[in-house]
This record gives sequence, C-alpha cells and structure tokens, in this order.
Amino acid sequence: MSVIKMNNLTKEFGELTAVDNVTLSIEKGQLFGLLGPNGSGKTTMIKMLTGQIKPTNGTAEILNIDVLNDPINVRTRVGIIPEQETPPSFLTAEEYLEFVGSIRKIRNIKNLSEKWFEMLDFKDQKNALCKDLSRGTRQKLMVAQAFLHEPQIAFIDEPLINLDPIIQRTLKDFLIDYIKKGNTVFFSTHVLEIAEEICTQIGIIDKGKLLHNGPITELKNKKQHLEDFFLKLVKEG
Amino acid sequence: MSFEVLKIMIKEEWRLHTSLFGKRMFAFFPIMIGISAFIASMFLPYIQTIMTTQQMLQSAHYIFILFGVTIGSFGLAGKEILNRRFGQASLVAYSSRSLPISERTIFLNFLIKDIIYYVILWILPIILGLVLATFFIQINTISMLFICGTLVLSFLIGLSIVFFLSTVYAHSYKLLIAFLIIGLIVFLFLMNYYNVGITTLLLPYSIYYNLSINKFLLILSLIFVPSALSLIFIKVDYPEKKRQYKNSLMDLSYKFKFSQHSYYIAKDFLDLKRSEGGLGKIIFSFLFPIGLTWLFLYIFLELIPTVKAIMIFAVFLGIVSASIYNMLTAFDTFNPYMFLPVKVSTIIKSKIISYLIVSIFSFIILILVAISLNELEWFIPALFSFITISVYSLSMTIYFAGLHPTILFYNSKIFAQYICTVGPILFVFTFASILDPFIMLASPVLLVPALFILKRSYIKWDKWKPLNI
Repeated sequence: MSVIKMNNLTKEFGELTAVDNVTLSIEKGQLFGLLGPNGSGKTTMIKMLTGQIKPTNGTAEILNIDVLNDPINVRTRVGIIPEQETPPSFLTAEEYLEFVGSIRKIRNIKNLSEKWFEMLDFKDQKNALCKDLSRGTRQKLMVAQAFLHEPQIAFIDEPLINLDPIIQRTLKDFLIDYIKKGNTVFFSTHVLEIAEEICTQIGIIDKGKLLHNGPITELKNKKQHLEDFFLKLVKEG
Repeated sequence: MSFEVLKIMIKEEWRLHTSLFGKRMFAFFPIMIGISAFIASMFLPYIQTIMTTQQMLQSAHYIFILFGVTIGSFGLAGKEILNRRFGQASLVAYSSRSLPISERTIFLNFLIKDIIYYVILWILPIILGLVLATFFIQINTISMLFICGTLVLSFLIGLSIVFFLSTVYAHSYKLLIAFLIIGLIVFLFLMNYYNVGITTLLLPYSIYYNLSINKFLLILSLIFVPSALSLIFIKVDYPEKKRQYKNSLMDLSYKFKFSQHSYYIAKDFLDLKRSEGGLGKIIFSFLFPIGLTWLFLYIFLELIPTVKAIMIFAVFLGIVSASIYNMLTAFDTFNPYMFLPVKVSTIIKSKIISYLIVSIFSFIILILVAISLNELEWFIPALFSFITISVYSLSMTIYFAGLHPTILFYNSKIFAQYICTVGPILFVFTFASILDPFIMLASPVLLVPALFILKRSYIKWDKWKPLNI
C-alpha cells in the first residue's frame, strides 16, 4: 500500500525549477532515502509533501489525504524534522515538547518527553532556553518533537548532521525499529554512508529531476557502491 | 566609530528590507511619508483657526520627542528581533564575537545606523513635505526650515534619552526607577520653586523664539551626553551564558484556560518575560510613549481648556495600544509552526487574546488619566472610543500585515493602505470628540466592519505563503 504518492510534482521559484515533474510512490514500511547534492530540491520536496509550500504543478497524497486540500490533516498525522527551523527561543526544551504536545493534543506528554530526554541523552538541558541550546541539542529536540505523537510517517530533512556518533547510532537504530513496526520514513540526506546503511529504498534527485528510484538491495545485489552509483548518475545528469 | 562597519550595517538593513518586499516598494516608503506630511500640512491654515501657531509648534515638538522615544525603543528591540529571526552569526551587530572589533564600537555604529536610517525614512521626508507645503499655504519657507531644524533636535533628544534610559535599565531596573523618580522630583522642584513650566523645558521649541548659543549648547548636550553615557556604560548581555528556568508553561497555560489557545498565550507571556529587557520593552515601547502622550495632553488641556483631554487621550491610547500587537508578533515568526498542524489564523487569534489581556494596562491607564484630569463624567464615551479605535486599528493591522506588522509596514503599498483606512477614522474620532464627547457612544458601530475585516484576515492569511524570515 502506497502511503506517499506524488504525481508530476513541480515547484518553480521564478526561473528556477527546484522540483521538476517528479512522480513517485512509497510503500508503507519503507525507509526511503532521498539523496542529492546541495540545492538539488530535497528540502523543497519535503516541504511540498507536508503542505508547507504549494507546488506549482502536480499532486501529492499522504495516507490518501490530498496535501494541497488538507495540509493541516497531513501535518497532524505525520512527524516532520525540518532542516533549518529551530524551536521558539524563549521556551525551555521541556516546555517546547509540552507546547508541541498541547498542539498535537498528546495526553501523557510528561512521560513521553522524559523518554526522549533519556533516549537522546539531553536530560540535563531540559530547563535551558531553546535559544541557548547547542545546534546538536536543538537537533535532538526537533527529533523528539517529530516522534512525540508516534506518527505513521516521518519526514526527516538531514537529521543526523549535527549529532555526535553515539546519538547518530541511537537514532539510526530507532529508525530501523520504527519501520519494522510498519511505519514509514521519508529521509533526505547527502550523506551517502548513512543512506546505504539504513535505507530500504533510495531516490536520487539532481537539479529537481528524479534520476533514480529503487530498492537499495538492487545495488547490493549488483555489489555496486552507492557512492559510485550516485556520482556516476549525477555527473551524467 | 568604524566607517566600514557602519557602511556594512546600512547595506545589511537595506538588503533585509528590500529582500522582503522589493526595492521599489521599500524605496517608495519615504516618498509616501513625504506626501502624507505635505497633505497634512495643507490643513495647517484650518488648524490655525482652533489653535494658535505657538500651540501648534509646541505640539509638533512634543510629537517629535515622542517619535524619537518610540523609534529608539523599537531600534533597541530591533536588535533582539533580528537575533530571533536570523540567528546571531548572520548579523553584523554580532560580529564582535568573531572579528577583532569591540562591542562598544558595534553598538556606536548600530546607534548611528539607526539614526541615519530613521532620519532618511521618516524625518527628512516629513521635513520635505512640510517645506514643500509652504509654497501652497501662507507660511514662510525660511521659518518652516528653521522649525524643521528644531523638530529634528527634539527627535534626537527623544532618541538620546531612551538610549540612556535603556542602558540604565540594562544595569538594573531599580536604578531606572530611581532615575525616573529623581527626574520627576527635580522637575517638580523646578516647577514649584523656580516657576519653570513644561514648555520652558522644551528647549528646541524655545530657541525658535529666542535663539541663544547657550540654549543651543544645552540642547546639544542633551543629545550627546545621554548617548555618550549610554555608550560608556554599555552592558552587553552575552547569550553564551545558559539560563535555566523552572518549567512554567503548563501552569501559566492553566491560568488562561478560558481560551482554547491557552498554551500559545502562555508562550507569548514567557517570551515577553524571558526575552532580553522583557519589562523594559513594555516600558519603552508602550508605557513611555503613553506617559509622554499624557504629558502632551496635559499641556494641551492648559492651552485649550474647552477640549475634553480624556477624549483625545482615549483616541491616542487606542492607536498606541495596537502597538502591543506589534510587540507580541515581533518575537514570533510563523516559521517554527510550519511543520506543525497549525494555521496562521490560529496564531493570529492567540495573539489577539494576548493583546486583549495586555490591554488591561491601557484600561487602567485610561481610568487613572480620567481621575487625574478630573474628567470621570466623560469616562464611558472615552472608553467606547478607546475600545473601538484599538479594535479597528488592530483589525486593519492584522488584515494588511498579519503576523508581520513590524516588517510589512515598511512596504509602502501596505503602509499606504493602512494609513488610508485608519487615518480618516482617527481624524473623525478626534474631531467628533472635540465637538461632543457623547457622539463617541455611537462609535462601537465601527466594530461591525472591524470584526468583519478580522474574519476576512483569517481567510487571507491562511492562504498566504510565509515570508522567508
């Protein structure tokens, strides 16, 4: 069953086509990695799929909900870790999770928050203002807020980039376990090693065009390295 | 001072604004201010029929001091707003952390940049508008130029005083209160024992009639001494120190449980409380202008005793109160909500509730002013007038600028639309209040279109593409 569907999805910013006519569907239980160089359209695609920006053309459905018509419903059901956005400055980390919990109408928010503070090892920071947190700790907080409501789909934009190797391992294990439970992850990155390690399906995008889409096992069966495949594909355009 | 830093700061400010709504729309802003000043000046001969030239000049000087105070307050808050939106690393104002340049030099350049910017954006266009009008009305152009000079001095005094007071506040709010009390005592002493009136202390106005080198030097010292002191005693709050706070969102949210947006409101109050100079922001950008407006009206009442000052004050209070909304939105962009199931209209609605709660201050101020002016019999019409004008101007602010009034009002088109819809109402309210205060009992009729516009605003802003800030 496809839980993420897009048809001829296009986004133009003036003369720049950030995402160019992309048609793609992702089945339930996949850890889909969208790979591409900087500025290839990965973030724009995630923003369109979660109703944060409107596509210039094309349609998108998440859990059979039309994103264009009902973006709030989509964002209610999914979790999103944005690439850049940071939590509001003057709330503490714990207050921020409670704030998100109130918006998402989560009941046992205190316990859930505690679980994430423990798991990502930043309990000692829970009373610090978000604006005073380090980049890595903010990233941890954004991870926690995205999974608080145990969504069926998570959209994650470059999630591991500021995290230390220990937390990276924890998060990778969590994501693998998360899809085993039948959930789906849409994951964008340009760090190929991470994608090769945890993704079940990969898409390669460059200059807004989807150059490849398929299971990672295809490459593994051919004994081909993702890095070589990626570089060849992007260079050939 | 470093000319290079100043140049870069000015470029940064220009690019910041032009990137948001285009060079043309931003560049047209001072032209529009000039045109507005020109049109307003054309009414001077009519105003002269109810006020003497002396009264008009005094009023203008007070308004320019008030303007300097307001601009200074927003300028200081601006640094923090930018910090909130862009992060410290991207701003020249924070380059002392990574470049061999002192915080004092940065602050000096920041002040000069602000002065240059606001003089170009506001003061010069107003002056040009006024001077241009002299060719069409019977006012001597040279006199007008001289008046403009004294008005600029008034503006700079206001700016300089607020810089100084904000530095005092940065050290200790108790010290600020002590300063204000001492200032009040000195003023009362001068008034009672040396028979020095408020107008005598209005030095830029007094040199218009009696130009003396001593007075001019005194004015310069009023501009430079407070600025220099604020620079010498500058206190920089280094955000590297991590502040820890007890979790209070839910407790505070419980206090606002009457609203379905209680947690957003609680967040607004925590933002105000915990942001740098939280109390100072309220003092400088709301209570201080209100205080000066009250002072100005007190003088106005002495000059024209037939006018019910409380009525005029209520109209001004309504407009100034709307600035609370600007303050509430200035520290909160929609970007942190974009990835959550939240509509823009939900945030706007929560800001309106926060605004209404803070407006209790305005209500108390109105009662106090009515008592102090001994005009309690006019309190009900004044209250109606205040509520109507504040709700109406708030609706217009929201319709035209949504969650970004402090940014979008520099778009000349948006600002013109706001002025054209609020300006005439302000005029009508002021004149109706002078004519017969009881007319204002009918003013809530205006709430019907105001609430309709508010409803349209929710639809408009839910369709809106967020600004890239």
